[in-house]
Amino acid sequence: MLLDFALPAHDRKLIPEGRLSGPMPWVIAIMLFLTLLVAAGGLTLAEAARQGGQDLARQVTVQIIESDPAQRAAQRAAVTRALRKLDSIAEVKPVPDGQVRALLEPWLGTGVIDVDVPVPALVDVRFASVPTAETITRLQSTLRSVAPNIRVDSHSSWMAPFFDLMRALLWLAAAVFLLLLVATSAVVILAVRSTLNTHRETIEIMHMMGGTDIQAARLFQRRVALDALLGGIVGFIVAAVVIITVGGRFAAVEPGLLSGAHFPYYGWAILALIPLAVMALAMLMARMTVISALKRML
Amino acid sequence: MNSLCPIMPFVPFIALMQSVVEFDNVGLRYGAGVETLTDLSFTLYPGSFHFLTGASGAGKTSLLKLLYLAHRPSRGAIRMFGHDASTLPRDRLPGLRRRIGVVFQDFRLVPHLSTFDNTALPLRIAGVQEKDLRGTVAEMLAWIGLIERAEARPATLSGGEQQRVAIARAVIGRPEMLVADEPTGNVDPEMARRLLQLFAALNKLGTTVVVATHDIHLLQEIEGAQMMRLDKGRLSDPKGSLRHPPRPLVLDN
Repeated sequence: MLLDFALPAHDRKLIPEGRLSGPMPWVIAIMLFLTLLVAAGGLTLAEAARQGGQDLARQVTVQIIESDPAQRAAQRAAVTRALRKLDSIAEVKPVPDGQVRALLEPWLGTGVIDVDVPVPALVDVRFASVPTAETITRLQSTLRSVAPNIRVDSHSSWMAPFFDLMRALLWLAAAVFLLLLVATSAVVILAVRSTLNTHRETIEIMHMMGGTDIQAARLFQRRVALDALLGGIVGFIVAAVVIITVGGRFAAVEPGLLSGAHFPYYGWAILALIPLAVMALAMLMARMTVISALKRML
Repeated sequence: MNSLCPIMPFVPFIALMQSVVEFDNVGLRYGAGVETLTDLSFTLYPGSFHFLTGASGAGKTSLLKLLYLAHRPSRGAIRMFGHDASTLPRDRLPGLRRRIGVVFQDFRLVPHLSTFDNTALPLRIAGVQEKDLRGTVAEMLAWIGLIERAEARPATLSGGEQQRVAIARAVIGRPEMLVADEPTGNVDPEMARRLLQLFAALNKLGTTVVVATHDIHLLQEIEGAQMMRLDKGRLSDPKGSLRHPPRPLVLDN
């Protein structure tokens, strides 16, 4: 089918230049721009979900619940030592008391914390690989031998709703992506039908001289391919500028929930393939539209 | 045709020529209306020349449309070049159409193509290489006196010039059958005579020619031409000479 793209100059004259072009490349450029943005958003979300999911699934926080500050500090040191002895753990990071208080200040205020509320000591733990529920239960029993009142919180459990949301957004991005492809196909079909009506006389003459449906379809395929290519290039350039600019803004955001949210490098290869895929889709649509319309002629 | 007759291996083989077109009780109806053509039965052999006459509305153009495969008959059978054209699958019709040259009454030139490109169109559709067609097209344009206007668009040509281009386009591929609808209607008598000479020359090379015309004087211009007269969609053939014309013999050794 792609070989049909190369037509001799005299065949190209049969459908005059500039009839299919006009608004068509610009409409395709807009559709492609939106398609590429949705694809880029989807890829970023997928990358963030993949990376964030992996990181968070490996992290747990150990809470040491002890009202006596001296005991609490001693137990935290003991827990830290015990954790560092385990091969399955990659990193152990006791959270300084000041940082814990700072986390609670917005809800409890400064005066209350020190005097009335026993603040738990926290130790952040990162496993070398994603732990199973059994591993976490075992860790909890091991640590209870050095600090009886501890709790092990897995990050993945409290982050689950966030990742459910990301998965839902990914599905939404995929659906919008497909809808935009359908809309682009519809634009191509309408443009081809309109051009076919304009040039019906020429096609009929070709037909009466023994021209085949495929010969007629090639003329339209080429025009549509050129329009889609032009629209694709414009759409890709504008989308690339937007993605790079917005990507820069993301990078400036303080790491947190968005820490894994960046556009992956392999994404550019996928984005570059989309205009080519749209061009092939447009050619296929043009071919099918012309052949189906000509079937009504004898 | 080869000498396949086992009892006469050294004698020139005489065979009956195959028809180009056979109509058998053909009727044509547009939509649910009355029949435009009724009970047409005739046979055309290679190298025959026919003038199709009849009053306006008699069905001449409809009959030509059946001949150049723009329509299928509503009933009856049409055999063309040995194929049943009434039932032949649609994708095989282009192969038959390439063997037919057509001069349309309204010329039907492609408006945005030059005289040269319009004339070359059938050859290009048939896949003839550019280097092979340039000389042929130029020679044809010279013959019809339009070589100087090779790059002109149809809109800049007079009616007569457009008609000549339409004729050149129809004959450029040396079709096995030429179907022409009033081909001399817009040209002066001298050009009409030249165009008929062109048809006659093609006819001598074996092309079957069918020319629809109101001008019965044209009959005298072509020696041996037959007349087919349509009257209210029926072919006037009292002696059955159109249905069963004498079958020409072909000599082949």
